[in-house]
Amino acid sequence: MHHLINKQNDEWQLVSQEDSEQQKIEWQDAESWQPGQALRLPVDAELDPQWGQASVIGIDFPALTDGRGLSLAVLLRTRLNYSGDLRGLGAVHEDILHFMVRCGFSSFELPESRDPNVALNCIAPHKQYYQSSVVDPLNHFDRV
Amino acid sequence: MYQYTEFDRSFIEERVNHYREQTTRYLNGQLSEDEFLQLRLRNGLYLQRLAPMLRVAIPYGTLSSQQLFALGKVAREYDRGYGHLSTRQNMQFNWPELAEVPDILADMAKVDLHAIQTSGSCIRNVTTDHFAGAAADETIDPRPYCEIIRQWSTNHPEFEWLPRKFKIAVTGAAEDRAAIGVHDVGLRVYRDDKGDVQFDVYAGGGLGRTPVLGALVRSELPIEHLLTYLEALMRVYNRYGRRDNKYKARIKILVRAMGVDGFRAKVDEEWAHSKGGPGTLPEAEITRVEAFFAPPGYSQQPEVGDALAEHRLANPKFSQWLQHNVTEHKAPGYAAVTLSTKATGVPPGDVSDTQIDAVAQWAADYSFSEVRISHEQNFVLPHVPKQHLFELWQKAQAQNLATANARLITDMICCPGGDYCSLANAKSIPVAEALQERFDDYDFQYDLGELNLNISGCMNACGHHHVGHIGILGVDKKGSEFYQISLGGHAGHSELAPSLGQIVGPSIPRAEVCDVIAKILEIYVDLRLEDESFLGCFKRVGIAPFKERVYAPSH
Repeated sequence: MHHLINKQNDEWQLVSQEDSEQQKIEWQDAESWQPGQALRLPVDAELDPQWGQASVIGIDFPALTDGRGLSLAVLLRTRLNYSGDLRGLGAVHEDILHFMVRCGFSSFELPESRDPNVALNCIAPHKQYYQSSVVDPLNHFDRV
Repeated sequence: MYQYTEFDRSFIEERVNHYREQTTRYLNGQLSEDEFLQLRLRNGLYLQRLAPMLRVAIPYGTLSSQQLFALGKVAREYDRGYGHLSTRQNMQFNWPELAEVPDILADMAKVDLHAIQTSGSCIRNVTTDHFAGAAADETIDPRPYCEIIRQWSTNHPEFEWLPRKFKIAVTGAAEDRAAIGVHDVGLRVYRDDKGDVQFDVYAGGGLGRTPVLGALVRSELPIEHLLTYLEALMRVYNRYGRRDNKYKARIKILVRAMGVDGFRAKVDEEWAHSKGGPGTLPEAEITRVEAFFAPPGYSQQPEVGDALAEHRLANPKFSQWLQHNVTEHKAPGYAAVTLSTKATGVPPGDVSDTQIDAVAQWAADYSFSEVRISHEQNFVLPHVPKQHLFELWQKAQAQNLATANARLITDMICCPGGDYCSLANAKSIPVAEALQERFDDYDFQYDLGELNLNISGCMNACGHHHVGHIGILGVDKKGSEFYQISLGGHAGHSELAPSLGQIVGPSIPRAEVCDVIAKILEIYVDLRLEDESFLGCFKRVGIAPFKERVYAPSH
């Protein structure tokens, strides 16, 4: 069983195992998915405009070093204007979370072997960043 | 120079804290070797053959005197009293303790230095012309745009986990001293007829095992669109670059697979969505960053022609140094000085803490507190009043930093090779030393004229052998070290497109390298027309006469 991390009242939190079980999701892959269902995508998926109607989208990371899921997340948020829950699945690692958050992920399934408290601890190592992102429209140069 | 804002400063402090916490987790067993590898690389730390190696970023090769003093302190306190200037204008330390690296980074942060993204599959330190802002042949100072790229590429949320490393170089001068043709992205910056700043963007260049010259993917890109265009390009690479084979993962392979037109079209398609969007550079930001690189306060300089001539007459060595290591400056009465690290018997690019301190002091005394590191692994003092040249030369002599060989055969580019690097197939430093000894006769070197000799210990080509007029590549042949020689490579300039060296013949054992190079030089001297450089001669006669004669049995 993984650890589910999401945002409640603007704070990142660990969802209790009980609640997490209750929220168990029936993921569909892109071929079988229908609007309104939960959609699980591989990192190399090409955008389909219909996906904006998913109840939740998960992106499955094959390895912590595979950044394709980050670009895919940005495209879902900015190109499709998908505003629902976007969840990191697969090889989610505590040290990648801060990149994922800035690319628009709103929840994570952290593998059971990882420590969720460490993950929550390093989810925001910086107060501000140089670039604008999905979650912050301001660049460093817009603030100076 | 760029001055850190409060934001820059707190950002690198936060980064040090984050890395300290990651190191602790690794030492506590909460991170595996493979996991920590990815994190330490992005903070400049390699585990080498003998010990860790820390690569400190010197953004576009520019340092203040104070920063260089701090690096001298690191060499003294954490290393064994020396540092190494890399071919990407960075500084490396070879013996830091893994557990102490967060402390070193914290010390670096106090003087606005860091090791962020100096390794790993991410956007690396942006490089440029080491004479930027000083060179007489410069049309526009590239450093403000390097700084804008540095900021944009630091911890970019989308591009920290690329298929492979990504190197960007920028040039703004007639001669391309940044070698933009052999970078993942090369930018030529210039002003259009109206005086507006524009870029020509080259993509897909690179050395390594498949050397390729970059292709022009967009010309006349206005400055305000620089970041949105780069972002589109990076996104195409991040999504479609190969990840199944690290030897085929650089952008050059993607550009070749898609074709230049296909790649360009894909980037343009992506860019159409973001052009004019949030990454568009406001005029105020461009002006803000450009202002940091305004010329230093040059003053009226006395006429020193006669005094220099007297010194030259009395000191032939000074005369040679003036001729080879002192470069024309855009401001009257000033010169840019190359302090060569390539004295015979010293591994190219290695500098002691005493030398580092001395250069930092000379920068403070003679060069508006500014120092550069060149990709040829030398120090450069960019703005020295000519009236102080003799004084500086005397001091540099005392520190073994006045070898008058800039751009000559013994000013070799050389990677650390098999002595230090775990990737290397063969040693490169002993080859460099043997060549330095063999060609130590300066009259012979001066007669040969400009000649870049570049040595890499393996196909990763950190010694840029493909673009050396003479390139030497270490290869492994059934467990023995062999060396392959190529000729005619160069990094290009405005009137000469860059080209990759051509292999002259079968690889040879180390003992024969000096003889083969000597033979090549003999052939050149024989074939050259009056005042013709090695490269000029090679361009005219081609590889054939060298092939015929280099390996011909001697009679």
